[in-house]
Amino acid sequence: MAKLLSVNNLSVHFSTGNGVVKAVDQISYELNTGETLGIVGESGCGKSVSALSLLRLIPNPPGKIVDGEILFEGRDLLKASKEEICDIRGNKIAMIFQEPMTSLNPVLTIGQQVAEPFMVHQQMKKKQAAAEAVKALKKVHIPDSGKRLADYPHQFSGGMRQRAMIAMGLTCAPKIIIADEPTTALDVTIQAQLLTLMKQLTIDTGAALIIITHNLGIIARYADRVNVMYAGKIVEKASAADLYKYPKHPYAIGLMASVPKLDQDVKTRLQPIEGQPPDLADLPEGCAFHPRCRYKIEQCRVSAPSLRTISDDHEIACWVDV
Amino acid sequence: MNTKNTALLIPSGKSRSRRKNVVFAILAHKMALVGVVIIVSLICMAVFAPFLAPHDPNDQDLYRVLEGPTWEHLLGTDDVGRDLLSRVIFGARISLIIGIVSTFLSALMGSLLGLIAGYKGGVADMVIMRITDTFMCLPVMVMLLVIVAVLGPGVENIIIAISVLTWTTFARIMRGQVLYVRELPYIEAAHADGASELRIMFKNILPNAISPIIVAISIMLGRHIMLESIATFLGLGVQPPTPTWGKALRVGYSYLEIVPLYSIAPGLMITLAVLGFNFLGDGLRDALDPRLRGEGRKI
Amino acid sequence: MKRYLAKRLLYALLILFLVSILIFSIARLLPGDPIQAAAMMNMDLANEEIMDDLRSQFGLDRPVVLQYGVWVKDFFVGEWGTSFGSGEPVFEMFLRRLPVTLELFAGYVFWSFLIGFPLGVISAFKRNTVLDAAITSTAIVGISVPVIWEAIVLIYLFSVHFQIFPPSGYVPFSENSMENVLCMIMPTFVLGTHSAGMYMRYVRSSLLEVLGQDYIRTARAKGLKEMAVIMRHAAKPAMIPVVTVIGIDWGYVISGSFLVEYMFALPGFGRMGIDAIAARDYPVIQATLLIVALFILMVNLAVDLLYGYLDPRVRVK
Repeated sequence: MAKLLSVNNLSVHFSTGNGVVKAVDQISYELNTGETLGIVGESGCGKSVSALSLLRLIPNPPGKIVDGEILFEGRDLLKASKEEICDIRGNKIAMIFQEPMTSLNPVLTIGQQVAEPFMVHQQMKKKQAAAEAVKALKKVHIPDSGKRLADYPHQFSGGMRQRAMIAMGLTCAPKIIIADEPTTALDVTIQAQLLTLMKQLTIDTGAALIIITHNLGIIARYADRVNVMYAGKIVEKASAADLYKYPKHPYAIGLMASVPKLDQDVKTRLQPIEGQPPDLADLPEGCAFHPRCRYKIEQCRVSAPSLRTISDDHEIACWVDV
Repeated sequence: MNTKNTALLIPSGKSRSRRKNVVFAILAHKMALVGVVIIVSLICMAVFAPFLAPHDPNDQDLYRVLEGPTWEHLLGTDDVGRDLLSRVIFGARISLIIGIVSTFLSALMGSLLGLIAGYKGGVADMVIMRITDTFMCLPVMVMLLVIVAVLGPGVENIIIAISVLTWTTFARIMRGQVLYVRELPYIEAAHADGASELRIMFKNILPNAISPIIVAISIMLGRHIMLESIATFLGLGVQPPTPTWGKALRVGYSYLEIVPLYSIAPGLMITLAVLGFNFLGDGLRDALDPRLRGEGRKI
Repeated sequence: MKRYLAKRLLYALLILFLVSILIFSIARLLPGDPIQAAAMMNMDLANEEIMDDLRSQFGLDRPVVLQYGVWVKDFFVGEWGTSFGSGEPVFEMFLRRLPVTLELFAGYVFWSFLIGFPLGVISAFKRNTVLDAAITSTAIVGISVPVIWEAIVLIYLFSVHFQIFPPSGYVPFSENSMENVLCMIMPTFVLGTHSAGMYMRYVRSSLLEVLGQDYIRTARAKGLKEMAVIMRHAAKPAMIPVVTVIGIDWGYVISGSFLVEYMFALPGFGRMGIDAIAARDYPVIQATLLIVALFILMVNLAVDLLYGYLDPRVRVK
């Protein structure tokens, strides 16, 4: 498979009242054409920030991309000019946000918002863009899409708003689609519908998909490969199947033990991960996970481990072989 | 924890640490600090006027009228030879008294009616809000002039007129706050706990709805001082020979070409008073209600 | 949308009714009666015959409800009574003074928008810089300075000291356009600075709030250029709170315009009102108050209308 995107040593820092927060700390990963990458972790682990920084959408101030490179089609996006990045946003790389209620502009019609990328990136006139918008809405199964073009977001249901968001993301047949918690606000059946739809649409267009979620079920079902993030770092990279069956990092092991599995004995108790997610402004010395880790050794208190390969396509950042 | 007493779960709004935070936030807010300094100076000026003023404010020296600044009269003299500086210092008294008393009455009346309107709803709400909307159609200053013209000038009448005209501002703010606070879960908890209506209104809702009222009090204090000066300026307010900023401003205005300080100095005092209370109000808003940081939406 | 407007209109009519009762009562709550009060201020009227004549003219010999009905009816057909002081029909006095006040208002709008909006936008985009702090503190000073003092300081600076503008008085545009502009610059500026400070603060805060919204991020993620993001996605929602403030402010500015007309001796509507209040000239006071109330209600309706245009969520409610 061809390499589409490679992120090298990306670091994003936020300056807050309590000092500098390393929201994303030296992460590297790659994305191949047509594959689905899951990024999973607790809230506040930096998964959303890492995704937003791909398109340089981090609000500055307080956030700042301090280090690293993001190579896309042979270009470093962090070095691209404002015009170049605008040209990529929504065109080559599209984002689908969580919270469709707040992510859609309440004073513009759905039609205006879905048609916008056509007008910006394909220089379409208003009418033509509107016609395309109807098609785009039809693709995400919005009934009566022609009529609903004139509706405002508040007239849509939660699921339909999310569909509209997806339609908007797919308008220009992007190479990469980043879906940030795309279905959190919706109920389970609609979640499944939308994810299946999204996956199908990416298969149709050959796009790569990055799904950011805290929901391991979604990862297991839709992702090819997974990055597990903890406190701004990637702690485990593996294929989805591998991670599901043989998680190696203590945190990933903990995650897996905390969700029910169908093939499990019903009497097995679910194991929560002890302790609280760390305060990013005040990380512990050494490995950020060690205060919650059952397998910690002396080394963990002293220095942070970097990723090491343990088998084909499987890396972890841990001093211990569990 | 004593689970029987839901009151323990209710943010009282008066905890010591929170009060301390408010003090810190005001100190950190440079403009608020300037406001506090201005206000404290004005209050000191009013309280210690007899010691601070170099002359008796009512001593006339008809041989030395409309003088510019001299060492004896630092701001010069007025049209009947009284020391202007002394009159400006004593003028702080009447302005502050009228400002403080009218704001207090107005806030008390407005908050109470707003609380009733917001909590009780129904007819009470309708009547109070209709009155409020009616008052909104008539500019306070114009109505103040009319009412004082009707009632006759004098300190009491000005205070009554200002309070009657401005309580609606507090009522609106309070009502809005109550409507918001009323829906919060801990009020529901208090209801479930069997607390009486009055107790809920005054113990649970009021303390948690009061922040914007405090901010408004600060801002309205400045505005009321300004209203009094304007009424006095137009000859409808406090009557001579009481030393007032408004009157000095008015008389001085006629002699602007000869002794500019005569009107500019008392006017500066009015401006400083308004500015001080506005600065403090801004600081209080930032400290008490982070949601409104730096903005004036509720006022 | 139509229903929403109809509702607002009906409500405005209700409030207008209540306001008219309030205005009508003021003159009648006096100890004694309004004619007597007016006579105290105006020696020309202090004669029993004249006073009785005025009483019947003012309708005081009729039942109160009838008085009210006649007053309201007369108001809408332009019969606003005659001034106690000059004996002139109030409606004609009003018409003669209206152009001055309208010109003052136009100038006020010009200054307040010209200063308030750009500074607010600049401040928002340069937030937390020295420039922002400077603009924000200037704005609060602008809001705090009382109109009468600002007027006096400006008159001292630009009429007494530098003698650029006339200190007071009015020259109609038709008579001498140059002098007309010169005599209106200071009064309109004084009125404008207060509101400019308000607008600046609201534009700044509202823009900052909107720019932090998720949908602005969505717009950026679609590849819109920063200018398009602001014009297409941020401007309209950011205007919603600003429109409210402008509406409230246009109500407040009436007080300011009364004072400014008084300070700069402009023969406008506000000057007429202040003179009438000082002379207890009730027919003029009543008409003045009712016009002011009508103006404020109309501004409120306009704000509601604009709201419906700016915020689609309002239309459905």
